[in-house]
Amino acid sequence: MIAVKGLRKTFTTHIKEPGLAGSLRALVKRETVTKEALKSVDLEIQQGEIIGLIGANGAGKTTLVKILAGIVHPTAGEATVLGFKPWERNNEYRRQMCLIMGQKAQVWWDLPALDSFLLLKEIYQIDDRLYRENVEFLAETLMVKDHLKTQVRKLSLGERMKVELMAALLHRPRVIFLDEPTIGLDLSAQKAVREFLKSYQREFRPVTILTSHYMEDIKELCPRIVIMKEGSFVYDGPLAEVQRMLGDEKCLSVTTRERTFKFTIARTELAARTAEIFAQNDVLDLNIQDPSIEDVIESIMKNGTAL
Amino acid sequence: MNWWRHIAAAELRKILAFRSDFWVTFIGQALVQLLIARALWQSIFAGSEAEVMNGFTLEMMTLYYLIVPIGQKMLTGENVGFLSREIYDGTFSRYLIYPLSFFQYKAITYLTHSAFYGLQLILIFTAYNFFVKTAGFSTLLPGTLLFLMAAFAYMSIAMIVELLSLWAENIWSLMVLVRFFCLFFGGGYLPLTFFPEELQRVLVYTPFPYLVSLPVRTTMGLAPPNEIVHGALVLVAWAIVFYFIAHLIWRRGQYKYNGVGI
Ligand SMILES: Nc1ncnc2c1ncn2[C@@H]1O[C@H](COP(=O)(O)OP(=O)(O)OP(=O)(O)O)[C@@H](O)[C@H]1O
Ligand SMILES: [Mg+2]
Repeated sequence: MIAVKGLRKTFTTHIKEPGLAGSLRALVKRETVTKEALKSVDLEIQQGEIIGLIGANGAGKTTLVKILAGIVHPTAGEATVLGFKPWERNNEYRRQMCLIMGQKAQVWWDLPALDSFLLLKEIYQIDDRLYRENVEFLAETLMVKDHLKTQVRKLSLGERMKVELMAALLHRPRVIFLDEPTIGLDLSAQKAVREFLKSYQREFRPVTILTSHYMEDIKELCPRIVIMKEGSFVYDGPLAEVQRMLGDEKCLSVTTRERTFKFTIARTELAARTAEIFAQNDVLDLNIQDPSIEDVIESIMKNGTAL
Repeated sequence: MNWWRHIAAAELRKILAFRSDFWVTFIGQALVQLLIARALWQSIFAGSEAEVMNGFTLEMMTLYYLIVPIGQKMLTGENVGFLSREIYDGTFSRYLIYPLSFFQYKAITYLTHSAFYGLQLILIFTAYNFFVKTAGFSTLLPGTLLFLMAAFAYMSIAMIVELLSLWAENIWSLMVLVRFFCLFFGGGYLPLTFFPEELQRVLVYTPFPYLVSLPVRTTMGLAPPNEIVHGALVLVAWAIVFYFIAHLIWRRGQYKYNGVGI
């Protein structure tokens, strides 16, 4: 379904010193910097799969999504989605794909959602029956019935996001790109979006790439994750595997009169080290835990490896 | 092939949603323009003591300056930045995701604006003619249609400049310059009959007179039928050339598009 090979993207930007002097200098001599947003990545995703793409700010997640959605051209490498090169923007491909951006509205700001939907119905040539069914189904599951006749600019962020989801899924895409769909939403709205995506995935089995900074999204939705660091993949595999990577580690949190400190040690050393700690410090509190998946992923994102 | 009607309808809804004070501004502007043009040319005519200047009577001249601003609005359709603004802020990505040609999409929204102003033209012209019998009505429709064609041609020129924003940081001043040239050499500031003979002869080989002068003169009934037909053909030819160039520029420029903002 999605096959990516050696995909690279470099951005070139002009830089300029702040202030008027910098602007004048930039008129004569323009300095550029190049930024390798993607450094040759490979990826295979099958029908019905949903993968979570995670990584620190600037890791290159959105860049990958933009290339696969056909908005930008890669610098080198290959990618096919449903057998199409995305950036050729074949209409056949675009009719089966959608991109949802938490940061950026796609529906028309000045129109009520229903007007936007009608427009999309024509653009995607959705037949009447499917359209009615889909609006019904989506409005029902997302619980946005009351907001469909209001100008989108007047909706709250969460309401708008639900409308965006509806608009993007009206044509029942087989490939879904979700770039931070839950950003800025309150907990219950996040949960609603997650539940919705889950049931949608179950029902229609599209290929989905989801990026998010909320681990909850990833844990709930993505059996498989890809972790990015500075434009490369540092992990691609089952989420459960990540947890197991630190299976024989323990997290210790010790509070003394002066401070609290945390560290990770091997399970086998646990008894010896705790005894040592108690002997050497005036311990007020001691807590032993399995490392959380967040800890592991954070460690991978930072260091490229689990430890 | 229904989608373009829906896009036009949606655009119209947007225009109307914003212009609740539309009629007030519209009639107010027309009145002010009428008074200024009238006062200015009245004193010029009085000074020269001629009844007819370069083919224009005072009534005709006033009508000319009443039509030109509306025609200019038809030409410029959506405002400066109708592509570049969206390219800079990334809204442009939308057209790359939806299965449609952004050229067609933009042409439709642009011409919806033009058609909307075309309606104004018809109203103002009719009102003026009602009070000051200057020209016939038979040429109003052909004139409005020519304005619409000119709007398409001008849009193609504008698209070329706007797409340059894929390379340049700022095309605003360039766009303003282009607009000025089109209006000035098109007869938007002064009827072309006031220009030196040689310049008039040269200008025929440029698109400018067909953008403004031809539609205005047609609307006022000053252009003979054969000139109208010939002019329309030239206008279409120019429009196709510019539209084609805009496509070429996009073919190259798409590699530059970064979809910023997400
Ligand atoms: N249009 C652009 N021009 C120049 N550099 C860019 C552009 N878009 C992205 N970059 C750079 O490429 C890198 C990757 O950006 P990208 O948007 O893919 O990150 P991300 O993983 O989505 O981050 P975030 O979690 O903050 O959304 C960043 O360092 C960014 O500065
Ligand atoms: Mg991002």
